[in-house]
Amino acid sequence: MLGQHLKRNLTGYAFISPFIIGFLCFTLVPMVISLYLSFTKYNLFSPPRWVGMDNYIKMFSNDPKYLQSLKVTLLYVFIGVPMRLTFALFVAMILNTKSRMVGAYRTIYYLPSIIGGSVAVSIMWRNIFSDTGIINGLIGFFGLGPVSWFGNPSAALVMLISLSVWQFGSSMLIFLAGLKNIPSEMYEAASVDGASFFRKFFKITMPLLSSVILFNLVMQTISAFMTFVPAYIISKGEGGPMDGTLLYSLYLFRQAFMFNNMGYASAMAWVMLLLVGIMTGILFKTSKSWVFYESGGK
Amino acid sequence: MLAGCGGGNNAPAENAKNVEKPAESNQTATEAPAEPVTLRIAWWGGDTRHSYTQQVIDMYEAANPNVTIEPEYASFDDYWKKLAPQAAANRLPDIVQMDISYINQYGSNGQLEDMTPYLNKQIQVGDVNENVLATGKIGDKQFGVPLGVNVLGFQYDPALLKKAGVDSIPENWTWDQYKEIAMKAKAAGLFMDGSMAADVFFNYYLRTKGLALYNNEGTALGYEDDALFSDFFGMLSGLIADGAVPTQDKLSQNKGVIEESEIVKGTGVGVWQWSNQYVALQIAVNRPMELAQMPGPDMQKGLYMEPSMYWSITSNSKAKEEAAKFVDFWTNNAEANKLIKGERGVPISSKIKESVSTVLTDSGKQVFKFVADMEPVTSPMSPPVGSPEVVALLTDLAEQMNFGQIKPDTAAAQFRKEANSILANR
Repeated sequence: MLGQHLKRNLTGYAFISPFIIGFLCFTLVPMVISLYLSFTKYNLFSPPRWVGMDNYIKMFSNDPKYLQSLKVTLLYVFIGVPMRLTFALFVAMILNTKSRMVGAYRTIYYLPSIIGGSVAVSIMWRNIFSDTGIINGLIGFFGLGPVSWFGNPSAALVMLISLSVWQFGSSMLIFLAGLKNIPSEMYEAASVDGASFFRKFFKITMPLLSSVILFNLVMQTISAFMTFVPAYIISKGEGGPMDGTLLYSLYLFRQAFMFNNMGYASAMAWVMLLLVGIMTGILFKTSKSWVFYESGGK
Repeated sequence: MLAGCGGGNNAPAENAKNVEKPAESNQTATEAPAEPVTLRIAWWGGDTRHSYTQQVIDMYEAANPNVTIEPEYASFDDYWKKLAPQAAANRLPDIVQMDISYINQYGSNGQLEDMTPYLNKQIQVGDVNENVLATGKIGDKQFGVPLGVNVLGFQYDPALLKKAGVDSIPENWTWDQYKEIAMKAKAAGLFMDGSMAADVFFNYYLRTKGLALYNNEGTALGYEDDALFSDFFGMLSGLIADGAVPTQDKLSQNKGVIEESEIVKGTGVGVWQWSNQYVALQIAVNRPMELAQMPGPDMQKGLYMEPSMYWSITSNSKAKEEAAKFVDFWTNNAEANKLIKGERGVPISSKIKESVSTVLTDSGKQVFKFVADMEPVTSPMSPPVGSPEVVALLTDLAEQMNFGQIKPDTAAAQFRKEANSILANR
């Protein structure tokens, strides 16, 4: 009976085996090993040594740099993500108008997101914000600055956040799809009733878009927590000045690959997983009160 | 022609070996020249280095038809990320390029072969200064043969120095004279320099006092008196506060970008760095430049020949003697070194130094001469048992002192506490 059952499903198993093998070898097993390593001291040369909770305790009690990286990352997420989404929604609404060139505009606005995570853009960003770069030229025109974007720890973070806001394209496209789904009759009816633009925005657009906003919020929060390339390139791998751009993943990378503290880095990775999990959980929990589903959320 | 050259160099080594080990018939049998051998070799660097290294490898393969060499190369950061897992898996290449900050870690963890038995057999070192060769030694084990050497110094524009009202850098100058000149430069509207790399120059300063950054075992710092720390870094951050050196703002911004350094822009007198960095700087500055020695007192005690990098043979290599022969080719073959042109530092063999100097640019010749002048006054050095983590900590603290956010005294105590905890827990 069981044999027949297995036989019938064998083809199916054969077809999904590449995924299963890949998942086991490259996802599940490494995760289990990394969990084990997070309780050890391991420098790649000598065998891992069990230290229990030491790595986790050190993180919160005896590593000011870790707390700094946590602070920088939270700032980056809590300032960067809302700004990025606001901007994305703003542009999406503009692009939702009926204009002949709208296809071209959408492409142009999406471009930064395609090339955004790359090394080349990070280098470009470095140049734009350099002492003689265009940003300092611009604020110099208004009689301000020059601001030393790389010398001042908080200015460097502003620069990093601005780069993330600039890469709003993917969330914009999702907003755009969401906006397209709102029936135009609703706006027409509201117009007939004499509703203002803002009233229409807060009473029609926002509620009907809320599930899309939640989706974008979750996805962008997760990816913001894991941001690495821009901080690595812009600060030349050091997270400077004065640890002002020491994002969590950058510090994790430094511990793992520059200091060879693989155990500590693994522990950091698990705390990160936990943090992202909690953040996502909070978002989903609170979403019940502000996300509106036409189907009643079921 | 090339083949003849390589053969000529290897011949004495072969003879010596046959005389030395007539009894070990087993081993001589495996060493028969016709046996095909594959060597994996790894290094870090930029494009120029990759291309001439490949040429040298081609030259070696032409001279030794039984040897096939598989190169693996990467940038400095990526190199160590690749090497560490290979070491963990015992799959290191036969020959690896080693850096002074890593050789001790790899050596003391049993990843590298003691090369002493190969010296003056497969690898001829008769023309190499003892002090230079010793920089590859940890205890009594030779874990690497230097590819070239560098010396610390002040690289400056003499015309700008004159503009500051100083005719020349005084011979055997002192830290006090350095500060004086720096203030004169400031008065003339110039910056003296772009500050000093914290770990390198603090170590030099400690050596002039007969100490070092780390103790011999690498289990703690190598000095007891925190006043040394506050004196040295107080001087560096003081010069920034006085305006003789650009602010940390500027320094962070220009870090690693040679074109943006003050000396290139004509607003800074000079730069503190290794001699091998001189040629590139000279090209960027494009004005006549000079090299000056380090300030003292006791410059001789502090100064050492810094191996720019080493060739090391790994313990897991199956063809150690063949690997050693390649190291010899690199060290002693004149034609190969005419391709290398001292790009990995001034060659360690005095004969090669002479023959290469004919193909050098003017600034290259200046570097060779500077290193040759300094060589007799340097002291022995073995690779420190340091830790990149301690270096990062020191660099951080130096930055904070330069920003004026922490006092040198406080930084000295914090450095001692944290560095000792890192070193003790390795």
